[in-house]
Amino acid sequence: MKRLRLDRWTGQLLVARPGPCSAATPRAALRSAAMCRCTTVRNQSTAAVPQIPQEDDYYDGTDHTRFSPLEKLPPRATSLPSPPPERALQSAKLAALHARLSLPEKVPLQTLARALVDASADENPQFNNTNLAFVGHTLINYHVGEWLMCRYPRLPMEVLYAAIKGYAGPTALHHVARSWGVEHAAAPGGEVDPGLLQFSMHKPGEAITVFGYKRAEYEGLKKHHWRHGISSRVVFDNDFGEIVHTEEEEEQMRARADTEYGNEYTRTLAEAAYATCARAVVGAIYAHTGREAAKAFIKAHILSRTLDLSRLFSFKKPTRELSLLCAREDFEPPVARLLSETGRMSRTPVFVVGIFSGKDKLGEAAAASLEHARAKAAMNALKSWYLYSPGEHVRVPSDMLAEDARPWEPAYIDIGEIIGR
Amino acid sequence: MTVRALQQISTGRNGVGAFILQCKKMDFHYCDWAGSSKGMNGFIKSVLPKFAAAHPQIEFTVSPRPSKHPVIVAQYINGREKAICVRNMEPYEILKKAELLRDASGEKLKRTTKPVTSINESVRGIWSPYHGNGLRV
Repeated sequence: MKRLRLDRWTGQLLVARPGPCSAATPRAALRSAAMCRCTTVRNQSTAAVPQIPQEDDYYDGTDHTRFSPLEKLPPRATSLPSPPPERALQSAKLAALHARLSLPEKVPLQTLARALVDASADENPQFNNTNLAFVGHTLINYHVGEWLMCRYPRLPMEVLYAAIKGYAGPTALHHVARSWGVEHAAAPGGEVDPGLLQFSMHKPGEAITVFGYKRAEYEGLKKHHWRHGISSRVVFDNDFGEIVHTEEEEEQMRARADTEYGNEYTRTLAEAAYATCARAVVGAIYAHTGREAAKAFIKAHILSRTLDLSRLFSFKKPTRELSLLCAREDFEPPVARLLSETGRMSRTPVFVVGIFSGKDKLGEAAAASLEHARAKAAMNALKSWYLYSPGEHVRVPSDMLAEDARPWEPAYIDIGEIIGR
Repeated sequence: MTVRALQQISTGRNGVGAFILQCKKMDFHYCDWAGSSKGMNGFIKSVLPKFAAAHPQIEFTVSPRPSKHPVIVAQYINGREKAICVRNMEPYEILKKAELLRDASGEKLKRTTKPVTSINESVRGIWSPYHGNGLRV
């Protein structure tokens, strides 16, 4: 697992500067935030004063004597890329979302509104949710990772990555954000209700919200399917063990987005925007109310979801792996025995096969052929090994950060997965 | 080596960690003139402010719908909506209907024949004919 980068967590959040942010990219903004921290006064809301040159009042051509405007928009609101922060207080949708998530009073509506603005809607990192999402992403992945590691210490790394993605990946967080009742606006803009999620399908924003490095051998990996081991994935790839995409690939997808309606790319964009929003809400809770509240929120909304880990395994040679396991652990070599059978000569035979190591039964399965039953029994034996759990309420390292924590008892750590030869 | 991972997505269980009220918006439509809206107008004047204050997680809108019967329309997180016509009802009958809409999940009504529906696996396991001592006939 990657270590937490504490120094990057809140620095950029706590300094929302109205003035001199001339960073071209969000990554540059993240870097420069720490440097010019003490130059200007901090605004109370996380969003700053819009720096729009004065111009004449915008007129959209509506006959206001016949159709009275529903809401009095502030001047030039329609020319802004995202709704001005002061409108957050008037939005019924936003207040309802705040109450629905039972957010603490300390999280202001303006921050929640900011969490709903994707980097593709508003490029300015002082108004979009990139920074909040970065914090949220780190926190969610940390808590999910530590919980899975302590609760299932024997999970193979590849399955662990899949499990983390199943809980904290973009698709899962997209479902989380949808289950909160977050709706999205058809197109972003200053006149949109601040309670709607805003993202653009046409110009994907440059939001750096993930860890990971671009691999030097990326072309070879993509073209020739070069082998890349799990250790290199831990070092180079993102939190879910996936290769970080390059710019060119995104360019190709971007070109397709305008020609087709609702293709794979636009779906990915929408999913990513919802996931970023969910992360940004966690980041906002952390920024305003601190660690414990953020942890409780993650536990309530993300870790409480169900994922059947036994369905994540796919074995190629289960019998061989089981015999290697028995050799490593000094068990007697596994033997498959037929426990019972019925209808061997019929159309639907059933064989129940158990795998024994000495007198201990490691696994058992029923199938329609002897070979299949043996493989299934070996898989069950391996799964019961890999899915060992010290208990449902296992303590995690972050529990120690609480004030009145009991002394830490070392967590069970497995020696590692079974290495094949 | 031989273990590969398959991707699955976790499924949410509302109420296990956090509970999210499924009704997200309620529209109250009334008519100033028609007699069938009399109860609805009284409801909007006297009961609705309290009801709305008690449910901050629902977005409330009140809008006129001239020369039509009064209607409550509720929108749910799953994207569906439910509407109840409350013509000629008393304010407290309307409150009952509003509470019914508030508590609904938004799903289509289904007949439930089993006492428990769960995605958790059975504690006792699935019965197998190949195990146990069998039954002597």
